[in-house]
Amino acid sequence: MSAPDPSEPVIEVSDLCLSYGSSTILKNVTFSVEQGQCLAVMGGSGCGKSTLLRSMVGLLRPRSGQITVHGSALWDGCHEPDWGILRNLGVLFQSGALWSSMNLLENVSLPLETFSGLSAPEIKELAMYKIGLVGLRGAESLYPSQLSGGMKKRAGIARALALDPKVLFFDEPSAGLDPVNSRKLDELILDLKQNLGLTFVVVSHEIESIFAIADNGIFLDANSRSILANGHPQTLRENSPVSEVRNFFARSLTD
Amino acid sequence: MSTDLNSGKTIKPIRPLLKIEEGDGFYSLLFSGDWTIRHPKGDRLSEFDSFAGQLSDKNTFRFQLSDDFTWDTSFLLFIQNIEQKISTHGAGVDFSSLPEGLANLLEKNKSNESLEHGRVEALSGAEDSVFEQILLNFLRVAEFWGKWMIFLWGLIRGKSFARGRDFLVACRDCGASALPIVTLISYLTGLTMAFVGSVQLEKFNATIYTADLVCLAMVREMGPLMVAIVMAGRTGASFAAEIGSMKLNEEVDSLRTLGIPAIDFLVLPRTLALFLMTPLLTLYADIVGIMGGLTVGTQVMGFSALHYFEQTQSALLSMWEIYSGLWKSLAFGLIVGLVGCYKGINSGNSSISLGKSVTSSVVVSITLIVIADALFELAYSYLGLR
Repeated sequence: MSAPDPSEPVIEVSDLCLSYGSSTILKNVTFSVEQGQCLAVMGGSGCGKSTLLRSMVGLLRPRSGQITVHGSALWDGCHEPDWGILRNLGVLFQSGALWSSMNLLENVSLPLETFSGLSAPEIKELAMYKIGLVGLRGAESLYPSQLSGGMKKRAGIARALALDPKVLFFDEPSAGLDPVNSRKLDELILDLKQNLGLTFVVVSHEIESIFAIADNGIFLDANSRSILANGHPQTLRENSPVSEVRNFFARSLTD
Repeated sequence: MSTDLNSGKTIKPIRPLLKIEEGDGFYSLLFSGDWTIRHPKGDRLSEFDSFAGQLSDKNTFRFQLSDDFTWDTSFLLFIQNIEQKISTHGAGVDFSSLPEGLANLLEKNKSNESLEHGRVEALSGAEDSVFEQILLNFLRVAEFWGKWMIFLWGLIRGKSFARGRDFLVACRDCGASALPIVTLISYLTGLTMAFVGSVQLEKFNATIYTADLVCLAMVREMGPLMVAIVMAGRTGASFAAEIGSMKLNEEVDSLRTLGIPAIDFLVLPRTLALFLMTPLLTLYADIVGIMGGLTVGTQVMGFSALHYFEQTQSALLSMWEIYSGLWKSLAFGLIVGLVGCYKGINSGNSSISLGKSVTSSVVVSITLIVIADALFELAYSYLGLR
């Protein structure tokens, strides 16, 4: 893959409309993610955050609109997404979604075995390195059912990193984690952002975690089914003209 | 004047008691005992109802709670019900002497709004009409079948994500691991047929033809059918459960985001393994079934093993007798594999739908197997192959 132009946005979402069957979840969603940024997708429960993520990682075809990654369209009008683009995207699902019939090493190796031209020892070395990177060295031979919730998420990140993607998508990374583990996960994300120059799209409603990791944010609203505000979380908290956004950050109930 | 609603009953502190005392321009409701979900309160309510029915003047009701009084949310609902009855008679209620938490909860319960109608409707989703559902199901089957064919073609051309390792594991799980159950079932089938046949054939003094009967019935019909049914219950169901729970756990999604199609990676190795293993198991079942017949022939009817085998051999006019059964079992294996995987892939996002998928994979498989068997027999006889 050619080196991306750093001034160009990595992901551009334009006029996206998402629906399940006949019910519209989101409409007129337009935003972009810059190279090396961490974009937080925020909003209350049921506002379509995860649906937006599903569409950006090739699991839900938009009803209309387009998602482009490095200038090429992910959904090219046909039924299936562009698989070539998807391989440059890594995804961490809410539960980790590790393949339960394989141990940790096999989980991380599978994408490499399938898509890289490396030899078996090289694959193993690289997979072990990725496992070490997320702090799970020594757990390679464990199966997903033997891992704790936090370890599953870390393992999920190791697998998402397997093919050295340029963009990582996280679905509620801190959901179900205790404060310490959640903080550790934030540190890991910052580490990866700084050292590998990765771009992140993080769906979250954990305010602390958003402030720790996000450079930019979009705020989705369940009533208007669209983006209510965008900008740096700090700016949104202090200066947003929209009361829902300020309430979200202040955990306030007032209108 | 005081009205004791519990007159004539032994007073235990644990029982919920309600006494009503009349004061100057008000009634006092004296609650004592255990007003929790341990005791039904219907009696108290109807007693209060009959008391309230005699009310003529508009008075205020006050609450008095004794020291041994305990409450939970069932008491809250009781209060709400008597307040309703009191207000229908035009009297007022003074809540001030109730515990603070209880009064707050009463207030909250009145102001709790239900969800907006549109919201609930959006969550429950639009119901498709029966016609749409049938069409949708048909399209799903067509899509699954089409994709399976395309990926199979990809596999033949060497472009596939399916792994040989998964194929071998599936072969072991649906082949070698099924040997004990297949042995037991086909042996007993052969045994039973020999018993049933010998009783009938004895009337014609032709018991040796039991060997022909068992042999032909096994290789033509019972071998393929029994193996297919065992496979449907054992392997097809496990395919549906495994793939369905992978879907539930977002594991199928995580394959897809890597660009690995589930049908290619998960379905192809399993269906092909079953496609290959079912005829092999059928051949094995044929042999074991004949052994079952042999047991009866030698131990019960007293033929020598050699005599029985010679008769068996003479019954098999050509190898086609065996092949015809194996052709069937190829189709049965494919049916079981495809139905099991289809049900797994199309199972919904809840554990209930997973259970339904597994059940229906077995039911649909067995139905299709029986239908396919009938079609095969029809075709064989029309083509003069029987």
